[in-house]
Amino acid sequence: MLAYSLKKLLQLVVTTIGVVTLVFFAMRLIPGDAAAAMAGDTLSGAALERLREQMGLNEPLFVQFWNFLRNLLIFDLGRTMTTNLPVSDLIKSAAPITLSIALATIVLAIAIAIPLGTMAAYMAHKGHKTLDNLITGLAMIIALMPSFWTALVFLLIFSLTLGWFPASGAISWDDPYSVMMRLALPILVLSMSQVAILSRMTRTAVLDVLSEDYVRTARAMGWSELRVLFRHALKNAALPIVTVVGLSFGNLLNGTVIVEAIFTIPGIGTVLINGINSRDYQLVQVLMIFYALLFVFINFATDILYRALDPRVKF
Amino acid sequence: MSNSAITPPPRALVVWMALGKTLAELRANRFLANSKMRSALAILIPLSLLILLAPVLPLQAPLQTNLMAMMQPPSLEHPFGTDRMGRDIFSRTLEGVKISLKVGLSVAALALVMGMILGTLAGFFGGLMDRSVMVIVDILMAFPSLLLAIGLIAIMGTGLVPVVMAIAIADIPRFIRLQRSLVLGLRTRAYIDAARTVQASQFWLMSRHIVPNSVAPMLVAASISAANAILVEASLSFLGLGIMPPAPSLGNLIREGQLYMEQAWWISTLPGVVILLIAISFHFLSDGVRQALDPRTRK
Repeated sequence: MLAYSLKKLLQLVVTTIGVVTLVFFAMRLIPGDAAAAMAGDTLSGAALERLREQMGLNEPLFVQFWNFLRNLLIFDLGRTMTTNLPVSDLIKSAAPITLSIALATIVLAIAIAIPLGTMAAYMAHKGHKTLDNLITGLAMIIALMPSFWTALVFLLIFSLTLGWFPASGAISWDDPYSVMMRLALPILVLSMSQVAILSRMTRTAVLDVLSEDYVRTARAMGWSELRVLFRHALKNAALPIVTVVGLSFGNLLNGTVIVEAIFTIPGIGTVLINGINSRDYQLVQVLMIFYALLFVFINFATDILYRALDPRVKF
Repeated sequence: MSNSAITPPPRALVVWMALGKTLAELRANRFLANSKMRSALAILIPLSLLILLAPVLPLQAPLQTNLMAMMQPPSLEHPFGTDRMGRDIFSRTLEGVKISLKVGLSVAALALVMGMILGTLAGFFGGLMDRSVMVIVDILMAFPSLLLAIGLIAIMGTGLVPVVMAIAIADIPRFIRLQRSLVLGLRTRAYIDAARTVQASQFWLMSRHIVPNSVAPMLVAASISAANAILVEASLSFLGLGIMPPAPSLGNLIREGQLYMEQAWWISTLPGVVILLIAISFHFLSDGVRQALDPRTRK
């Protein structure tokens, strides 16, 4: 287990270095240079030259790269161009919001999808095709709904028409109830597509296990159906489910950008979009690295968890 | 009445029989024998016809404003209603679908071609070639796909071409991985060894054996990628990072309607239904292609 974890950790480090390098050099591909693009038509001549100097664009490329790496390592992420706030402060206030949305979505999606998928598999196994088809068909349609559209429809129904949830307002952690109400709809919207993917996966995994010999044996021993389902089917289906949760985390991060934009939630996604619109490239490159590292780290955690859960792999 | 020995059959009957024969042939066609493929085509063909016929249909032009008919709910004259400038949402939606299909097909084609070339080279030659391709693939796959596309848009700017490029670059790594794994599976087959023993060139092996045998799964992946690209383009345009107004795309139509959700639900809702239909039909298409090309499911 240790050797495996170390190997995966090494891969994590290599990918991280790759991501940082790619982001750094991609930002140097901006037509003209980052300073000119940031300034747009507002600066020229000496002022533009000063901005270049400030951003360190006049240094040789490898010196720039070295400074970039060093600053990342000591979390000196620079300041935003429009508001002159430290980027690290911005991330500190925005990241908890995005992360709580992502985490709550995963928990909610698992809580709904696993019973649903198990039920669909059980129905399919027993030959009750209609209910199974209903669940799987619905899951496909939900998975394909563009999340920004679902979000808008939910906003229209639950916030604007029924008035159950607030559509806007500040997020302050001192008032957990208001935060919960504010984040409820985005979490619901995001979990829908996750439920769709996860329940299908659960269905397939459980259905595979249900036709195994040991399940038949358990039944022959007079175990109740529920006990068979929980002791055997779900336990063995856990592995593929863990993998899918890890893999769909990328989709989840994609989704947070969109729901944050719709529900005007000041998370990382909103900061990113604002950064792009104000052409704050230094901010954008830091956020791209943030997202990639988060995603890579979750994949690393999934790999380790998968190995830890699999009893067939002995260490 | 003619008195000749052989009376030519009435023209209507000839046409009818020819039609019947064509229909029977179509029914026997392995793509159309498939119910999912038929449902996909039942959505995509009328939609394409609508797009092609849009200029001659009695519709207001997509960009034409009409201040006498602002924010009208759906009616016979404006099937999807009008927006705050009195533009017809239905004709704007059709224009948006055109862009969506362009993006979907270009991304799928780009990703398929690049994926096949790089994946085949990496899988077939192995070694340094494999390692250098896969390092880039791994780094690109460290980004969530929409976020990678957003980052690329930040660099390349907005518009149709940058959007296609950004989505394709985010998608190509998946195709390279798939093609590489297919090639690795094919490389050790007996018929490849047989071809090698008769001195077949590397190029011959790749073009005659490897590529044709990996096309089917790659086509399935391409139709999923088209559906995905359409959704990503819509998301980008929705965020204001894709196709820019006044040009209508399904995503920016929904973005424009977002502000008027309470007064005019139709501006955002109906184009959204259309995106959903297109995405579903491309998924059916991928299932249909898979079933039609898989020799195990062929009747």
